[in-house]
Amino acid sequence: MLFKTTEKHEEFRAKIREFAEAELKPIAFMLDQKNEFPEEIVKKLAEMNMMGIPYPKKYGGAGLDIMTYAIAVEELARIDGGTGVILSAHVSLGSYPIYAFGTEEQKKKYLVPLAKGEKLGAFGLTEPNAGSDAGGTETTAVLEGDHYILNGGKIFITNADKADTYVVFAVTTPNIGTRGISAFIVEKGWEGFEFGDHYDKMGIRSSATAELIFNDVKVPKENLLGKEGQGFKIAMATLDGGRIGIASQALGIAQGAFEHAVEYAKEREQFGIPIAHHQINSFKIADMATKLRAARFLVYSSAELKEHHEPYGMESAMAKQYTSDICLEVVNDAVQIFGGTGYLKGMEVERAYRDAKICTIYEGTNEIQRVVIASHIIGKPPKQTGGKLKAKGPITGARKKKIFSEGTNEEKVAALVEALTADGYDFNVGIDPNTPIVEADRVVSAGKGIGDKANMKLIEELAIQAGAAIGSSRPVAETLKYVPLNRYVGMSGQKFNGNLYIACGISGAGQHLKGIKGATTIVAINKNKNAPIFKNADYGIVGDLMEILPLLTKALDNGEPKKPAPPMQKMRKATPKKEAPPWKTYVCSGCGYEYDPAVGDPEGDVSPGTLFDALPEEWICPDCGEEKDKFIEG
Amino acid sequence: MYCVRKVTEDLYWVGGNDRRLTLFENIHPIPRGVSYNSYLLLDEKTVLFDTVDWSAGRQFLENIEYVLDGRPLDYLVINHMEPDHGASIEEVLLRYPDVKIISTEKAFMMMHQFNFDIDGHTEEVQEGDTRSFGKHEVTFVAAPMVHWPEAMVTFDLTNGVLFAADAFGSFGSLDGKLFNDEVNFDRDWIDDARRYYTNIVGKYGPHVQALLKKAATIDIKMICPLHGPVWRSDLGYFLDKYDKWSSYEPEEKGVLIVYASMYGNTESAVNLLATKLVERGITNVSMYDVSKTHVSQLISETFRLSHIVLASVTYNLGIYPPMLDYLMDMKALNMQKRTVALIENGSWAPKSGALMEEFLDEMKQMTVLNEKVSVLSSLNEGSALEMDQLVDGLIESINE
Repeated sequence: MLFKTTEKHEEFRAKIREFAEAELKPIAFMLDQKNEFPEEIVKKLAEMNMMGIPYPKKYGGAGLDIMTYAIAVEELARIDGGTGVILSAHVSLGSYPIYAFGTEEQKKKYLVPLAKGEKLGAFGLTEPNAGSDAGGTETTAVLEGDHYILNGGKIFITNADKADTYVVFAVTTPNIGTRGISAFIVEKGWEGFEFGDHYDKMGIRSSATAELIFNDVKVPKENLLGKEGQGFKIAMATLDGGRIGIASQALGIAQGAFEHAVEYAKEREQFGIPIAHHQINSFKIADMATKLRAARFLVYSSAELKEHHEPYGMESAMAKQYTSDICLEVVNDAVQIFGGTGYLKGMEVERAYRDAKICTIYEGTNEIQRVVIASHIIGKPPKQTGGKLKAKGPITGARKKKIFSEGTNEEKVAALVEALTADGYDFNVGIDPNTPIVEADRVVSAGKGIGDKANMKLIEELAIQAGAAIGSSRPVAETLKYVPLNRYVGMSGQKFNGNLYIACGISGAGQHLKGIKGATTIVAINKNKNAPIFKNADYGIVGDLMEILPLLTKALDNGEPKKPAPPMQKMRKATPKKEAPPWKTYVCSGCGYEYDPAVGDPEGDVSPGTLFDALPEEWICPDCGEEKDKFIEG
Repeated sequence: MYCVRKVTEDLYWVGGNDRRLTLFENIHPIPRGVSYNSYLLLDEKTVLFDTVDWSAGRQFLENIEYVLDGRPLDYLVINHMEPDHGASIEEVLLRYPDVKIISTEKAFMMMHQFNFDIDGHTEEVQEGDTRSFGKHEVTFVAAPMVHWPEAMVTFDLTNGVLFAADAFGSFGSLDGKLFNDEVNFDRDWIDDARRYYTNIVGKYGPHVQALLKKAATIDIKMICPLHGPVWRSDLGYFLDKYDKWSSYEPEEKGVLIVYASMYGNTESAVNLLATKLVERGITNVSMYDVSKTHVSQLISETFRLSHIVLASVTYNLGIYPPMLDYLMDMKALNMQKRTVALIENGSWAPKSGALMEEFLDEMKQMTVLNEKVSVLSSLNEGSALEMDQLVDGLIESINE
């Protein structure tokens, strides 16, 4: 580049700028106000061959360079930050992992329609407990025959639910951290793959952002991207490049706001001259321009490094971090120059001000960008020695996990009632269904699985026969409003510390489970056998609530009103057997040393969480020097 | 004077017994003594399988001389190089200078380390190699870490005899009897056999399992171990024990109570516990004072029973040292898959319970019952109530 873009780049810029100004600008405010996704714009971008700019023509792309792609995002964001990120998430996040790590078949099937713009792509990494630290990923993929069964969920996913193709990260080997994560290509429309509500965002409101929900989604084995365990690597490599997209977006937002501010400052007169000539403003404009130029160089040079296959991870992190930081400063100054006018809806700088903030947050917070930059300079921090991974048990603690699956629904319910009675539960007594959750001995709780509000009748009837108070999951109280807010159970709601908790149609979000840790006995009734609640329950029935709840209500009904329960006494909780960890240890045949993945091999610089198979072939026994193939399974 | 026994038509036991040794490996008490078995095959070639500890060396040499009856010794097969079997190699070499030693690479390395002059006498073999001595053809099977890395076992393909090294051995001198059918093994020998296995080989369960898998593929008629009786009947009985021990599965449902008591108060608490257990039908209860019972006995019992109660006083804010020693031994021997109930005692800061739980948590699949008893100096109404709950928990777990 030699510090100047080429003529071709500028020709391209002129083309996309013309499009953005002609087509996007007139509707940008409307999209922002209505939280509306610009379907037509995306379609036209596809027609203009803009959706696969940096990918080879043979895969349906435009065969242009990364810089051209950066310019495209910049120019769209210059008009509308939201549209900028639609392109960035599609190209950098949804398509790149398939381009870089996909097999030829996967590229033909998925990359080609993405690059042509026939399909839209997205990327699902973030989860409630896995933000900057992907090691907390809880979505699981279990291989069963020819399919991986995907369960869990993702949050804050750009382009969801508009996208057709999702690169999703899930745990294939639990409890070993990031090494246990794998990447999958998942298609919209597959059974069990649903979307949560759209987020009501501060800015970039023209872009769609939603939750992904996976319930037993069958992902064909051939949709594994790369190898098992490579997920984290794929995610990090993708985000390296994604930063160029977000940096370009921030650059565009700042550039747009800057141009508006300059124009306005030249027009607006105070004290007899345009305010641009008030030194306080002229200096401001000078600073804004300087920051923009510095940022642009950072962005373009990292795009160029990537294009030339040179290391660019640190440079793209610098570009993303610096550009989004100065973007906030520039939009802030721009609104300041506009004064009160800039504070009004409908003003571009007002929208830019809101759009800008996300750029310091997503695709790696700017705090994480600094971690990346620093690690390139000073290396990773020294390994913590003596650390040992602990197999993460269920959130509610060790539970019996007895699932009644034999026989008819009647028989399952009978077995459940028998087990509860054997544990000492007396269903001749009961408490008021309106007893506060924190004081209740028993609670029957409804989750989203309950469906229509009319079905709450089933919960109420069961609560009466079980002698329990009524509770719910958060969405049932907060979104559906079936019960008052003070009846939802969870970390952020009411905590249940009584004896019996019957969760009906509750899948078992982490925050909910944390709220029932103290329960003596947890019963789960859910149609989805993979719902996390079952791993956190003592007893479970997999089945339809509409069938199970009436049966259970009937089984607990002795035909008489419940006698008032005596004051609550905490019951004895059975100790479930301690389970083996999910990983295997290996024992050296030369000395008996046991390699435990939970510990790794600190001397051999093998960090905790490394499975035996993943040890390098040249790894030797730290105690006697025997080779890796002399180990047997422990 | 020689003292030998015929094992089969052309195979002789030429080992010795030691009843004077107090501590085997200078650690495990052996009140019943121990035998060092060595076997001599008279085929077209003469073959000695392993030697004996130096303490039985003279007897052994006289035995060989008698059985050979003037013939030269052609081969010495060393299955296991630990000195209780290998110590007499050098003397055999001196007396039979033409003997060839057949063994593994690692065993030869160790012979050099023990300064045996074996150069020119070695024939290295590997897993699957065979040798014919005339009528008898044998094959060698690697048995690493049962319980040393150099170990192998030798299987006689002709008559189905397995020279099993330290596998299937036992403490106890033979007292004239050689075969398992000449003793009441399940009455007189099993405790010593268990104590031998669990303390000597216990840690290496995975490697024993690997060896048992190999053994399942051959038709074994007789097992000739390096200690204790030769097995020529009811092999399944002993193989089943080995399978359980090496997979760390208990032999019996029952409760092992190990207590540490300084002035009798903890002891009286576990007396109450044992009584309650037996009253409620759990009669398979064994109780030991950790200060007075050798840890090898405790380990052996731990392998036998499914449930353990550890009752310990708090000592210098820690676990009572003999109890800690027992716990460390358990961990060292890879003990796993047991359910443990904890009773702690302390007069000002009882914390041995929490510390024992922490220790057990570092072991494999050791389930600690939720019910715990914390005694302040002496059992009282409150802690007796806890004891009842602990009994409930134990019984529920046993009956699972």
